[in-house]
Amino acid sequence: MSDNTFQSNKGNWEASVNKTLDRFPERKDQFTTTSDIEVNRLYHPDEDETYEEKLGYPGEYPYTRGIQPTMYRSRFWTMRQYAGFGSAKETNERFRYLLDQGQTGLSVAFDLPTQIGYDSDDVMAEGEVGKVGVAIDSLHDMELLLDQIPLDKVSTSMTINAPASVLLCMYLAVGEKQGVPLEKLTGTIQNDILKEYIARGTYIFPPKPSMRLITNIFEFCHEQVPKFNTISISGYHIREAGSTAVQEVAFTLADGMAYVDAALEAGLDIDAFAPRLAFFFNAHNNFLEEVAKFRAARRIWARIMKEHYQAKNPKSWKLRFHTQTGGSTLTAQQPDNNVVRVTMQALAAVLGGTQSLHTNSRDEALSLPTEESARIALRTQQIIAHESGVADTADPLGGSYYVESLTDRIEEEVNKYLDQINDIGGAVKAVEEGYMQREIQRTAYETQKNIENDEEIIVGLNAFKSEEEIEPDLLKVDETLEAEQINSVEKARSERDQDAVDNALVTLRKKAQDSSANLIPHILHAVKVYATVGEICNVLRDEFGEYTGV
Amino acid sequence: MEQIRVLIAKPGLDGHDRGALVIAQALRDHGMEVIYTGLRQSPVQIVQAAIQEDVDVIGLSSLSGAHNTLFPKVMEELKNKNAADIPVVGGGVIPAEDIPYLLKEGVRKIFTSGSSTEALALYIKQLIQPEDQIKAPEKIAHIGIAVKEIDNALPFYTDTLGLTLEGVETVESEGVKTAFLKIGESRIELLEPLRDDSPIQQFLTKKGEGIHHIALEADNLQDRLNTMKMEGVPLINEEPKAGAHDSQVAFVHPKAANGVLFELCQHPEGSEQ
Repeated sequence: MSDNTFQSNKGNWEASVNKTLDRFPERKDQFTTTSDIEVNRLYHPDEDETYEEKLGYPGEYPYTRGIQPTMYRSRFWTMRQYAGFGSAKETNERFRYLLDQGQTGLSVAFDLPTQIGYDSDDVMAEGEVGKVGVAIDSLHDMELLLDQIPLDKVSTSMTINAPASVLLCMYLAVGEKQGVPLEKLTGTIQNDILKEYIARGTYIFPPKPSMRLITNIFEFCHEQVPKFNTISISGYHIREAGSTAVQEVAFTLADGMAYVDAALEAGLDIDAFAPRLAFFFNAHNNFLEEVAKFRAARRIWARIMKEHYQAKNPKSWKLRFHTQTGGSTLTAQQPDNNVVRVTMQALAAVLGGTQSLHTNSRDEALSLPTEESARIALRTQQIIAHESGVADTADPLGGSYYVESLTDRIEEEVNKYLDQINDIGGAVKAVEEGYMQREIQRTAYETQKNIENDEEIIVGLNAFKSEEEIEPDLLKVDETLEAEQINSVEKARSERDQDAVDNALVTLRKKAQDSSANLIPHILHAVKVYATVGEICNVLRDEFGEYTGV
Repeated sequence: MEQIRVLIAKPGLDGHDRGALVIAQALRDHGMEVIYTGLRQSPVQIVQAAIQEDVDVIGLSSLSGAHNTLFPKVMEELKNKNAADIPVVGGGVIPAEDIPYLLKEGVRKIFTSGSSTEALALYIKQLIQPEDQIKAPEKIAHIGIAVKEIDNALPFYTDTLGLTLEGVETVESEGVKTAFLKIGESRIELLEPLRDDSPIQQFLTKKGEGIHHIALEADNLQDRLNTMKMEGVPLINEEPKAGAHDSQVAFVHPKAANGVLFELCQHPEGSEQ
């Protein structure tokens, strides 16, 4: 049987452990508990067929127990705090502070006008400039944002979707200016448009041209920026919009399959792009269900990629994911309690084998986080990593009767949804028909009713209320920023070579009309001559039209 | 009764519509007709929709921090279109310090994170159908003063001030003896503890003699308590209980009113008038 080479067995695992150790030695020669009990690399039952088929060894198909053979014994997850507010210059300062504090990767939050492809001086941007993230209009802003940050050493995650191609090109252009070759740049763009229609709302174009832009990116990056994760298929926002854990995994994996289908249809080879697919999940409060959810998601995706799509490269089978703790679980009441919620959620993500993690700040139900709150959030991860001992063995909860049973049940329920979405005609069709949107709304409403009927207890909200609420210090975004950013984009426009911009935009328009053309090189050219996000997106709006909801 | 029509709108670019959708569904379950605008509505579009749909109230939702810019723009546009009579309520992630500004700009009320949909529905019903609205309390029924012994305290009120003593009554359930002195349309109530576990005794032990509470004449007591409870006002009594002169009374927790203990009392028709 040809599958034997891929069958997880102890021999294979031990061989890959040895290979991994050459590259990433373990953090310690020996791991022990406080009582000096030695901690093994892995605990597992005596080999039996169900064990190897359902769980296998870490780093081995179907990856239920994690995607690396030694998991966090070699390297912790990447601690990646999402940040960005106000101007590029201020955000750059926050980034450099976070890097100094021991953060190991950057994560950029953009303001809504940038995310929806409007310049800061567009009438639609009024009141929103620099509010939920940094305002980027042209390459000029991106240069300020990344000033003195060595792009050959730091990996950057950018939460950008509809105009992902534009922001990616700006990043590549800055890399080039720093003298870093494209093939050395690492990072992730979210670039997941389907969940924007389902849950997050920052769409611009209709599904079809949006899917084209995404496959254009896959293709371009496979050839020129091979280390960049070209998509982060996100369940996070689906969960925030009110879905259950099962719906989160099901709709995310369904979206993932739609991207794979689109790329295959565009003629790409599965093993050329699948290893660059990354995922992004939420960590909510039901601790053990969350742990099981991550384990189940890995197993389901591995099976889909290997069995359904017949991918050959094991890297294509591995579901790598980022996790963020659940913003909607935070309460405005007694905000310090949120530190405890975030700790449990972060622990679930770690026990679920996440590759990177953002921990929310305690004050996020009230406003953007203050520096102090953001620091506590990062410290929470560091405490889990360095003090709790849970990182000293792979998949410590593997084998728990309850966790394994939940993992199996989540897999079953997710597969039911995947079948249903397949019957509808795939995720793109299901999104267009509003199927996922309705399912999520139904659950969100039930949750709200349960909370109001006290069937679901939220500490500090509908039970254990405090007599006195402390007024926390909140971060205020400077209201003068909008005017400054408008001046700045006008200045950038007046200083550039306008003919070069006009030409670049004309070419882009022509190429947009030709559905077989890859738009990325033309967008890259346009950003290099300082065409703005809004100008580029407006050309594409003209050609592609705008999505206006179900 | 005509069906209340509500416009739920998302001004600006914010895509977080979980709250807006949940509220739309909840208000429908309360029998209202709800029109949801969808995302990314400009103030002009919102006001246009409100006028076209002839709604009774507009609900604005924003979680992106743009409320201070966008909510007042909606208010301004309503004025421009002679539609300022349509009340506007708001919700989302709105820091407490921004609320006074938004109220000043004419937004009727802000419901922040953790508000119940029940409270919102009730608020809208009372806003739109004022015949059902609970009126503000009409007068101070009495001011309660805790004293160690009524007999020792009385001469100041009857002799020095010359007030008329209406009578002395014992309320067993509270362990208290009360004396009422009429002054204009209100009264002064002297309270003397009968037992050690009487709340008045506890008050005397803790704070000494002095003003204990202010009682407000309030009709529809049960409805009023329900509304207050829904709005999260801390109550000592969620149900009315028997007070002096056959009245029904309930106490509001002092933390609701800067440390002042308020009693709401409802007298049977015709008495104490």
